[in-house]
Amino acid sequence: MSTIEAHDLAAGYGRVQILHDVSLRAAAGEVTCVFGPNGCGKSTLLKAMVGAIRPWSGTVTLDGEDITSLASHETLRRGVALMPQNGGIFPELTVIENLRMGGYILKSRKDLNERIEELLDEFPRLRERRGVNAGSLSGGEQMMVAIARALLLRPQFLLFDEPSAGLSPKLVGDVLKRAAALAERGVGVVMIEQNIREAMQVADRMYVLAAGRNRFEGTPADISDDRELMHLYLGIGKREEGTT
Amino acid sequence: MEGLAQALVTGILIGGLYVAISVGFSLAFGVLDVVDLAVGMWVVLGAYAGVKAHDWFGVDPFIFLPVTFVVFGLFGWLLGPLIYRVRTSRYALPALMGLAFTFGVATLIRGGMLTVFGYTPRTVQTDIVSGSWSLFGIVMPAIRVVGFLFAVIAVAAFLFFLYFTRTGLAVRAVAQNKESAGLMGVDVKRISSLVYAIYTGLTAMAGMLMGAVYSMTPELGLRYTLFAFFVVVLAGLGSVLGVLVAGLFLGILQALTTTYVGADYTLMTVFVVLFVILLVLPQGVSKFAKAVRT
Repeated sequence: MSTIEAHDLAAGYGRVQILHDVSLRAAAGEVTCVFGPNGCGKSTLLKAMVGAIRPWSGTVTLDGEDITSLASHETLRRGVALMPQNGGIFPELTVIENLRMGGYILKSRKDLNERIEELLDEFPRLRERRGVNAGSLSGGEQMMVAIARALLLRPQFLLFDEPSAGLSPKLVGDVLKRAAALAERGVGVVMIEQNIREAMQVADRMYVLAAGRNRFEGTPADISDDRELMHLYLGIGKREEGTT
Repeated sequence: MEGLAQALVTGILIGGLYVAISVGFSLAFGVLDVVDLAVGMWVVLGAYAGVKAHDWFGVDPFIFLPVTFVVFGLFGWLLGPLIYRVRTSRYALPALMGLAFTFGVATLIRGGMLTVFGYTPRTVQTDIVSGSWSLFGIVMPAIRVVGFLFAVIAVAAFLFFLYFTRTGLAVRAVAQNKESAGLMGVDVKRISSLVYAIYTGLTAMAGMLMGAVYSMTPELGLRYTLFAFFVVVLAGLGSVLGVLVAGLFLGILQALTTTYVGADYTLMTVFVVLFVILLVLPQGVSKFAKAVRT
């Protein structure tokens, strides 16, 4: 089975170190969730994994091959894509233009158009809005654009940085269901999430980071057993402790 | 009444060149997040390239236009990465450093040109177009008509590149969200160099035509920098359609001032108008403010 792994990654911005020897392993066909308080290095971890920032030390491997020093367009070619926080859509490009950008590295225009058509079949709402500037769409639609755009290259691993940020509870459910569906199709999904209870329903594997270090690693069942962790880092369960 | 019609036509004809100078400037700002204070120097350099093509090689400057584009494009291609480097530096105040850098470039060019070419005003001489046409009593000097037509063609080509090519799409994407464009596989640094090259090439070409209409000295660079500022700030930074409107508006404003008040008052009028417009529509400067802060 295909895997992407981070080993002992250290990274930061300027002189400020954010990640301290963080490791993560994600497999194709699974949903791997990353939790942790704000500022604990989750986004930095994903960026370092795709080569958007260069880690100070540590390695990233894809199926055992070292991809640490590859730039993001090269990891993209190898099937590892990152959807940045808030989707990273281009607000003044139309929906179609946004999707085209998703396939920027494709050589064949015909191939690109076919894939865009496929995605518009999968996201009928986007077909209706294809000529509209993405910035004027609703939050949920913008996220749909971002997800569709990330799928265009049919990545083997898709790293989502808070795909449900700012969405209504119903849409959060939709996004998580879509992530689970992607995993069923064989994609390895790595997801930073704040909606912990909902995410635990779809996650196969979970990581908790705290202050730039690995704090926990295991299945959703494992984490439910760790009451201290649930309470301290994830803010869950203090009240429920008495009742269960 | 006839004076007004004449002023409007004159203004639109010269406004075309202001548009040609400002579209590249606007896009370069969008992509590099640096206000290029050297913009007017590219205009003056372009004009002097025309003057010297005539002086040194006996070449008609208008035949020299494509060469101007290539030569100045090459300058831009070499300079662009330096600006990118300054602007993306991790250390203190990269936006301010970017401004200081382009100001330094402008000062160097100005000093160098004054040393080499002196203070004497020069005009680009061409034998290809001369005379003027008259229509309903409105006089249209051929050189200004040609300048306007050139501006229309150059701007149209520029817009075609921006809106109908794959690279143009990437340029617009980079202007809107650099990080995201990078994640899509766009080489942001290369795109920045490309945009800067197109901008310097286009501006120098427009400068050569400008030099055929008005006489030039190296001292005039600042004036064209201010004009480009006027156009781009009025347009709302990054708005191409706005640049078209604002550039023509500047031309008309200048012609009206020259006709009814006097040419010496052009800069004053232009900036009083800009001041008033910004008081009423402050969002024109919002992106400016953001770029200087970060």
